[in-house]
Amino acid sequence: MNLPDILEFIAVGFKADRFKTLMSSLGIIIGVMAIVVMLSVGEGLYSGVSSQFSSLDLDMIQVMPGSAHFGGPGSENANRNPAEPAKFTDKDTKVLENVVGVKNVAPRSSANVVVAFRNTNSSASLTGVDPDKEEDLKDEVAQGRFLTGSDYKSIVIGDGVSNDLFRMRITPGNKIRLYYEDRYMDFKVVGVMEEAEQTSFGGPGSDEDNLMYITHKAMEELKGEDNYYYGNFQVTVYDPEQVDSIIEKIKNDLKRYHKDEAYDATTARDMLSSLMSVLSMIKYALAGIGAISLLVGGIGIANVMMLTVKERIREIGVMKALGATTRDIRMQYLLEAGVLGMVSSVIGIVLGVTVSYLIGSLASLPSAITYQSLVLGVLFGVVTTTIAGVYPANRAAKLDPIEALRAE
Amino acid sequence: MNVISKVIELKDIHKSYRIGDSEFTVLKGIDLQIEEGEFIALMGPSGSGKSTLLNIVGCLDRPTSGQFLLLGQEISQTSDDELARVRREELGFIFQTFNLIGRISVLKNVEVPMMLSGVTREKRKERALKLLESVGIAHRINFSPQNISGGERQRVAIARALANNPKIIIADEPTGNLDLKNSNEVMKILSNLYKEGRTIIMVTHNPEITENCSRVIRLRDGRILENAS
Ligand SMILES: Nc1ncnc2c1ncn2[C@@H]1O[C@H](COP(=O)(O)OP(=O)(O)OP(=O)(O)O)[C@@H](O)[C@H]1O
Ligand SMILES: [Mg+2]
Repeated sequence: MNLPDILEFIAVGFKADRFKTLMSSLGIIIGVMAIVVMLSVGEGLYSGVSSQFSSLDLDMIQVMPGSAHFGGPGSENANRNPAEPAKFTDKDTKVLENVVGVKNVAPRSSANVVVAFRNTNSSASLTGVDPDKEEDLKDEVAQGRFLTGSDYKSIVIGDGVSNDLFRMRITPGNKIRLYYEDRYMDFKVVGVMEEAEQTSFGGPGSDEDNLMYITHKAMEELKGEDNYYYGNFQVTVYDPEQVDSIIEKIKNDLKRYHKDEAYDATTARDMLSSLMSVLSMIKYALAGIGAISLLVGGIGIANVMMLTVKERIREIGVMKALGATTRDIRMQYLLEAGVLGMVSSVIGIVLGVTVSYLIGSLASLPSAITYQSLVLGVLFGVVTTTIAGVYPANRAAKLDPIEALRAE
Repeated sequence: MNVISKVIELKDIHKSYRIGDSEFTVLKGIDLQIEEGEFIALMGPSGSGKSTLLNIVGCLDRPTSGQFLLLGQEISQTSDDELARVRREELGFIFQTFNLIGRISVLKNVEVPMMLSGVTREKRKERALKLLESVGIAHRINFSPQNISGGERQRVAIARALANNPKIIIADEPTGNLDLKNSNEVMKILSNLYKEGRTIIMVTHNPEITENCSRVIRLRDGRILENAS
């Protein structure tokens, strides 16, 4: 018996038993769909985050209070003893600037504030900066100008704040009021930043576009706390190759003022790699869930194939009497399972791609459909069903023709 | 020189079944020779072992002991695959219950043996059509076997048995499920095959039918009673 004949036989069977075929393939369809969706969403998270982070410069070091690590066992300072977060001041700026190889030290602080513009309120993040240390930001101004050292009640807003937050656009010259806890302050908009580069992570209206910048002097006044501390330092180095040794020096030199306080210095790369490892774990855990549903689907297929063999026991007897070999019968039923798997997998993939796309566009969760996930989906689908078909096919092939013919 | 005019030779064939601890012997030493072109009627009371014997001759079953030569070939020791080939190419089966495959068309049913032998699509369709025409079923080729009458089904089964042009036809009570008119029609086809020179071995309970046959073999309790012509 050759392949086209077997396939024709199989097709006839599927057509005759449409409902049963659909029900039996449902498990595989769902399993493959789950694998594709999970891998796509996982991959989307992964590539979204990595593209976001790869836009960070490799010559940057972040110095921040507490621990920047994600708390894995590898991070040295993490929660060994819950020390107070370090309180950073201008003294620390000096210390950092004096580290050999450091090009620029930009102290920053941040706060979430409510923005009021023409009687409407909205929330945004506010960053306090030292304008003299933020040459990079100056290049990203789209309208107006960036802050200068002598600015006080001036503010530079992100593209999102300008365009999306309020019904009316905010342009340089407009006045806005910022509320922080029970305090408020009025600012004059002097500049609008460029739209941030689109990364798939976050989508439109990403956080970067909702930023606003004021000077530390204004931030101190707005916060109104007794002591004003910097939230973090953005340290730029001359040579990216030396980042690791400079981090060591920074940690060492800061010890002088922050003996019992927690602080950390990390690079974008550090954060990236620990985040990536967590994400790839998530990705494969998700695919694992898909694999389990596939396994359940495989058991379903095996069950249905056993039923089919039982139902066709007499036909199998006839085929054998007419001269079908053990191999003919085995091939027919293995292929029947395999074809069922193939068709189910393709349906599963189409559904999976659709669902991934919907998740990507509706829930604005990132998802990226990769060839890897499609190939894995089909592979798992076909392999599972074929394995599921082995036992029923062997049962069919080994039937005794006389007993099979006598069966009712 | 042994010209194979003897298509079937059985020597001291025994067949027993094991039921629990005891052994139950159905065939108790069958000696039988069938020449090419004979039309044998195998008769005997129910349970005498007719079907058991026919299954052995049809290479569907193996004897417990004894020698069985089919077309000069010793069968009892050959592999399952070789037995399948013999069934496919040298034998044609007709069953009391027709045993057509319900989920494929009449035409496809007749094509199955040729499909198993690897005959090309065009050739087997052509031959199947010819065979169906010769048994008078040309108007039912696209029907499901479930939608035609018993007599028609048996004629389809005969067409299928002839698909690979076998030397030997094995028929176990081919008229057992048919009314008189259809029985006669089937017997007419079988005796035509006999006239064409095919060897036919047929089990039947109906003595009238044996008129068409060249020899009647009677079985009783697993043994051959007499050879009459
Ligand atoms: N697989 C088996 N296991 C045990 N006993 C069997 C088996 N096959 C047949 N027999 C027994 O062998 C005996 C002969 O059976 P067989 O089918 O050959 O009879 P038969 O002559 O064809 O009868 P009938 O005219 O009713 O068809 C019966 O008693 C039957 O019960
Ligand atoms: Mg019988």
